[in-house]
Amino acid sequence: MSARSTFAVWAGKITTKILKLTGSGGTSLPGKVVLKICPDILAHLAKDMKVICVTGTNGKTTTCHVIRDMIEASGKTVFCNDAGANMLGGVVSAFVSAAGMNGKVKTDYALLECDEAALKSIVEHFGKLDVTAVVTNVFRDQLDRYGEVLTTVNKIRAGLKQLPEVKLVLNADCSLTSSLSDLPHKELYYFGVNAPLYEGTSKDISDAVYCLHCKTKYKYHYHTFGHLGGFYCDNCGYKRTEPQVALSKVIEWKDGSEVVEMDVFGNQVKAEVMLPGGYNLYNALAATAIGHLIGLADNDIVSVLGGLSTHFGRMEEVMLGDSKLHLVLVKNPAGFNEVVQFLIQQRPAGTIVFGLNDNYADGKDISWIYDVEFERLTEAASNAEHFYFTGKRAYDMQLRLKYADFNTEKFHVEKDYKTLITMLKQQGQETFLVLSYTCMLEFRDKLAEFVPLAKYSKE
Amino acid sequence: MSEKCLHICHLYYDILNLYGDNGNIRTLEKRLNWRGIDSKVSRVTFGPVPEDNDYDIIFIGGGQDFEQEILVKDLFEYKADWLKGEIEKGTVILAICGGYQMLGKYYEAADGTRVDFLGGINVYTTAGDKRMIGNFVYEYTGVSGEQFSIVGFENHNGQTWLGDGVEPMGTIIKGFGNNGDDKTEGARYKNVFATYSHGPLLPKNARLADELLSIAYERKYNEKLTELEHDMEDAAHDDIIKQLG
Repeated sequence: MSARSTFAVWAGKITTKILKLTGSGGTSLPGKVVLKICPDILAHLAKDMKVICVTGTNGKTTTCHVIRDMIEASGKTVFCNDAGANMLGGVVSAFVSAAGMNGKVKTDYALLECDEAALKSIVEHFGKLDVTAVVTNVFRDQLDRYGEVLTTVNKIRAGLKQLPEVKLVLNADCSLTSSLSDLPHKELYYFGVNAPLYEGTSKDISDAVYCLHCKTKYKYHYHTFGHLGGFYCDNCGYKRTEPQVALSKVIEWKDGSEVVEMDVFGNQVKAEVMLPGGYNLYNALAATAIGHLIGLADNDIVSVLGGLSTHFGRMEEVMLGDSKLHLVLVKNPAGFNEVVQFLIQQRPAGTIVFGLNDNYADGKDISWIYDVEFERLTEAASNAEHFYFTGKRAYDMQLRLKYADFNTEKFHVEKDYKTLITMLKQQGQETFLVLSYTCMLEFRDKLAEFVPLAKYSKE
Repeated sequence: MSEKCLHICHLYYDILNLYGDNGNIRTLEKRLNWRGIDSKVSRVTFGPVPEDNDYDIIFIGGGQDFEQEILVKDLFEYKADWLKGEIEKGTVILAICGGYQMLGKYYEAADGTRVDFLGGINVYTTAGDKRMIGNFVYEYTGVSGEQFSIVGFENHNGQTWLGDGVEPMGTIIKGFGNNGDDKTEGARYKNVFATYSHGPLLPKNARLADELLSIAYERKYNEKLTELEHDMEDAAHDDIIKQLG
C-alpha cells in the first residue's frame, strides 16, 4: 500500500462523508476524487483479493445479488458496488468504502457489476489478479449509445482482453456472448438452458440472426427467448457449446418462482429458484456456476436459490393504502418481453401502468417499444380495468398499445406522478407498474412522499 | 372483412429490422383492417422473389452495417431487376434509413471506396464524420398539396444527396435530415417514399400512413379510401413536437 493510495482512500472517504452530510445521493463522485489522486488505485486496493466481474446487457444486478448470497453461504466475505454505480467511478467508490483507514480492503471477494463499456477501464489493472468474469448475455440496449449490438460485444472483448488469466463464465445460448471464448483465458465455463423455456415466444425478434464469423443465417435446435437457444451455423460450424451448468427442464412455474431440474457439473440437481420469470433462470444459472466454482456443495447452492428474497429480479412490492403496487423495471425489448411473459402468467385484473421516458439513461430512441410483443399480452390483459400511461413518452406508449388491439376505452394518460399515485391509492387495486429506468426513479421519488421506501438500488 | 385486400411486402424483414420496423407493417395492416379492408403481409428474405408477388406496398427498413455486405450480394443476385421494375411501375414503396440508402446509387466511404447499391432512385450517400442522431421534425407536402409535419427519430452517419428527378420528402424543421446541410429530408420518386425517420415512422404519423394506403388502394381498386380517425396518433405526434419546442 503506497502512501499515495492510502491518502487517496482517505480523500475518497471524506468526500463520501461530505456527500452524506449534505444529503447528496451521488455515488460516483468519491471515486472521481480518488482517481484524480491515484489513477491506478484499483491495482493497490484489489491486490490480494479475488475479483468477480459481472457484465452483459441484462441481468447484471440480479446475478450479482445471487452470487453475493453464494459467496456468503460459503463463509467468505464480499463487497459489491451499488447497482447502477457500475462505471469506473462507482466501482472505485465501492472499493474505497470497503477499505479501512489503513487503505486496505478486508473482504475476500470484490463482486463488481460492470457496465459493458466501462469494463475496459475497470479491469485495466486486474491483469495479474484472480479474476472471474461472468457475461450474462448481449442484447440490443440503448442503441443510440452503443450503436450496433456487435459494438457492445467488442466493448466487452476490449475489457476481457486485458485479463489473459481470467476464468470466463459465458452464456452458452447467446451466440454473441459465447463468441468471447476465443479470448485468452485460464478456465472457461458455460451456463445455459437445454430446452425451450415456454411456448409462444417469437422467433423473429432476434438481435443476432447471422453468424458473426461467416454471416450465414443461424439455425436453431430450439429457442428460449430472443436470439438465445440452441444455435448453430451450417456453413462455418460455429455452434452452442454444451454448458457445464444447464437447466434441463422447468418442472413447475409458480407465482414468483420456478421449480427446475439442473445439471451442475455432471450432477442432477432439483431446485426452486425464488426469482420470477424465465429470464431470471439464466441469472440463477450464472450464479450457480460461480457457486460451484467457489466450492459450494450442490445442496448449499439449492438452499441459496431457494432462499432468495422475493424483491429480487427488478421487482418490488409496495403497499399504498389498500393498493398493492408491483414495480417492475424495463430497459430494453428483451427484458420487456420477459415482463410481458410474466404479466401473461399474472392475468392482471386491476390496473397496469406503463411509464416511458426518453432520457439518456432510458435510451433517447423509443423505437424499441415496437419490438416488444404486446400483442401476446392483449388477451391476458383484457380483464384489467385500467391502463395508465405516464412518463415523457406516455402518448407513444399509449399508441403502441392501441396498435396491439388493447381496449382503448380503458386508456388514461397521466404524466403527473402525484395525481397518478393519489388515484392509484384511491382505487385500492392490485397494480402493476412497468416503468423505464428514469421513470422508475422519478416515480419512486414521488411515491416516497406517500409511503416509506427503501433506497432504490435498481431491482 | 371485405374481399378487398392489399398485399404488403416486408422486404428483408429479418435483416432490416433494427429499430421497431415492425411498427410500420403493423400500422399499415391495422389501418386497413379498421376500415374493413383485408391485408396480407409477405415477409421476403434472401433468395428468389416469391412467385406470389403482386405487392401493393413494399416496405424496407433499416439495419446494421454488419449485415450490409450480405444484403447487397443478395440484392444484385435476386432482387435488383424486380425492385427497379416495381419502382418504375409506381408500386408504393416505403424505405427507411438503410433501406433508403440501398435504393440509391451508391455509398462512398471516407477513403473513397464505393459500394454499389440498387440505383433505383437518383440519390447517393457519402460517409459523414458525425452521427446525426435525435428526434427530428420535417414539413411534408402531400400528393394533394396538403402540408403536415412528420416526427421521428434519426440515427445515421451517411449523408445522402439528391440528384435530378428526385424530390425531397420534406424540409427539415428540427434535426439533420438527409445530410445536415441542405435542409432536405428523404426522397420522393414516383411512389417511392424514402426517409431517415427510422423505426416506427407510421404509427404516430398516421396521415402519412393513410397517404401510402390511399395511393396503393386507388391504384388497385380505382376508388377512394375512407376516412379513419387518428386522434391518439395525433396526440403522440403533437406531444413530441411540443416537447421539442
